[in-house]
Amino acid sequence: MLKPLSDWIDDRTGLFSRRRAGLERIVPSGAGWRYVSGPAVLAAFLIQAFTGILLMTAYSPSSSTAWGSVYYINHEMWLGWFIRGVHHYSAQATMVLLAFHLFQTIWTAAYRRPREFTWWFGVILLVLCVAFGHTGYQLPWDQKGYWSTKVVTNIIGGAPVLGPYVQKLLIGGTEYGNQTLTRFFALHVAVLPALFIATLAAHIALARRKGMTPPLRPENTRRDEPYWPHQSFRNTIAVATLMGVVVGVVYYNGGAHLDAPADPSSADYPARPEWYFLSLYQMLKYFPGNREVIGTVVIPSTLLMLLVLLPFLDRILPRRASHAMACLFALVMAGAITGLTVIAIREDAGNKQFHEARAKADEAQRRALQLAALHGAGIPPDGASYLLRRDPWTQGRAVLDRKCLGCHVMEGKGSGEQSAPDLARFGSRAWIRGLLDKPQSATYFGKAPGCDGMEEWKKSSKLNARQLDVVADFVAGFAKIPADLTPDEWLSHPEVAKHPGLELFQKECGTCHVVEGLSEGGTRDAPGLYRWGSADWFERMVRKPSTADRYGYMDDGQKMPAFGDDQVSENDLTMIYRYIRGEYPPPTSSVPPEATAANAAAPFAAH
Amino acid sequence: MDPARINPNAEIRPPDTQRRNFLGLATAAIGGLAAMVLAVPGAAFVLTPLRRKGKESGFHSIARLSQLEVGVPRSFAIIEERRDSWVNYPKEPVGSVWLVRQPAGSDPPVIAFQSECPHLGCAINLKADRSGFICPCHTSAFTLEGQPTNHVPPRPMDRLEIETTTGSDPEIRVRFQRFRTAIEEKTPLA
Repeated sequence: MLKPLSDWIDDRTGLFSRRRAGLERIVPSGAGWRYVSGPAVLAAFLIQAFTGILLMTAYSPSSSTAWGSVYYINHEMWLGWFIRGVHHYSAQATMVLLAFHLFQTIWTAAYRRPREFTWWFGVILLVLCVAFGHTGYQLPWDQKGYWSTKVVTNIIGGAPVLGPYVQKLLIGGTEYGNQTLTRFFALHVAVLPALFIATLAAHIALARRKGMTPPLRPENTRRDEPYWPHQSFRNTIAVATLMGVVVGVVYYNGGAHLDAPADPSSADYPARPEWYFLSLYQMLKYFPGNREVIGTVVIPSTLLMLLVLLPFLDRILPRRASHAMACLFALVMAGAITGLTVIAIREDAGNKQFHEARAKADEAQRRALQLAALHGAGIPPDGASYLLRRDPWTQGRAVLDRKCLGCHVMEGKGSGEQSAPDLARFGSRAWIRGLLDKPQSATYFGKAPGCDGMEEWKKSSKLNARQLDVVADFVAGFAKIPADLTPDEWLSHPEVAKHPGLELFQKECGTCHVVEGLSEGGTRDAPGLYRWGSADWFERMVRKPSTADRYGYMDDGQKMPAFGDDQVSENDLTMIYRYIRGEYPPPTSSVPPEATAANAAAPFAAH
Repeated sequence: MDPARINPNAEIRPPDTQRRNFLGLATAAIGGLAAMVLAVPGAAFVLTPLRRKGKESGFHSIARLSQLEVGVPRSFAIIEERRDSWVNYPKEPVGSVWLVRQPAGSDPPVIAFQSECPHLGCAINLKADRSGFICPCHTSAFTLEGQPTNHVPPRPMDRLEIETTTGSDPEIRVRFQRFRTAIEEKTPLA
């Protein structure tokens, strides 16, 4: 019934008869497994094209949206983790298959006359595959992709003469950002595929035109067979095996990895290329400084040139000798690549600093994924990098560590000699209660020079534990006073006016500490306590610690240095404040979702 | 696929036919299976939006009755937090409604209209002379009661559920919903 239609189409297009001719073509000496590597590479490319187009429907190339869209693919879309996983691991499978196909072509001397052009197109395909890998690797705009791209484009920039110009054009300027992503995206999904398809079409057309390379020593017992179904069957088994392996790896790994969002300021991200480039990476280590161009440009392009010239080797050497040379070359290359890869892996395995940096990067990755998944938090409109930059546990901790822990400590830990209080839970009731108990403790002012006022008070004070509780309750309320409330308005509030701690505070604390309208101090110098523990009090303490209402009375050598917003930004200050007060979702995955949801609003509430 | 049909003239010796048939079938089956391993998740991937449920629409406090004059429509923005795929936006205007106060003693005291046109979803505006509503895209026109005055819109303007608080100056709360366009029934978008 369909025959008249198919005949009509075939008559005008030759579609079916050409297909028939292709399927019926003869495989000399019969079908065999030796011919499956080419079709397997083709299948891998088709898998990449299919999954790639799917990913394009969900991916968004800009520095503020790329990570979020990949997160969305990986964690929110239906089987998104699987599709992206297949794309990621099938890319690696393509590299392996291509290397094998190349090796086999050399081994069977298939590069020889009359198949030189097939071979050259194959070499172009190899270069294009490497370009695919590099352009795709950075698209998620995570730490891994960001730093690897930086390295690769700097390698390009280090090439003589044109290098810097090519680099600038590739990344769209001198800074990595939106233009880098849009350019790499266009290369990855349009330019490279177009080149690849054209080259592949030529490669396959020529392969068909010249027929398959028969075995060097034909097995006379086997007769010729048509391509379909004998060879097609073997190809299909090979492709199904490839699919099985890729799906298995994807399933085992739970999809492809997504590192923490790109952070140009991270000091210790241990960038490593994908495993199939580790040999090149390792080679760079042997060409330091001004000779680096040998490892980055000279050696790779020489090897490529050798591949291109391989078919001409027959002209200067006897056929058997030239083939033996080619095979030796391939074996040495395979050995060198394997050797360098093993060395690279072993060096990293024994490198403690690498493991520490990697552990830190993994911690940031887990945290970013945790925050992105929180209800009520999610990824902020200005970009995924703000996930961690507005996370007290990540950013507050890091800045505290860099700027404060030289003198202060956090839960007893600091990086210098302690000369200031422990900041853990500063401003909380527990902190005050502890201070009222043991002001001379290292947690409070025990190690802070010039801060013995509280200790002196403690010696003379006769307050019992219950009374101290009441004072602590009262002072803990200071942090909650709204910024727009004057001391008078605050004091006239019935809850404050009738608070049992009010009178005790006036008698015991107010003789030194000033709270406008409540106490006048005067006995000894001490900081003002109105709204003590609030974000504003804290900010003034950091920005202007030497004002009269803070610690201006202390000797110069004992004062805390001031930190302006050129040293600690507004956001960083807020992050430190929230970090020391514990205002962030706890960083474990075992926390019940309700608990994290309740805390989630806090880190982002101000934005 | 029947190999004999593809290759009717090939020289096939009889014992080979069976093997060919088997290989052909096996190739199709295994190849088909391998393709399904990708095609099915691929379909799921693109069908993700069909699987996601719209969020429940809640009531928004929009205005006080005293802000409205009888018979004079006023537009109010709906402010909501919004999630756009992976991005969480803070509170911002996500749509608007028209409120029309009814004469004293009516129930309800205020009618709320979705400002999206039931025709194709453009935002409906008030006519310059305030005598009715008009959509700037395809000239759908409505009376102040939301009834169509030409044949462009498929149905009247979409009324939204409202709640009022008690008291001398009640607060007007509106349940903000969107509806499917270009059909005669008022069907909420899910």
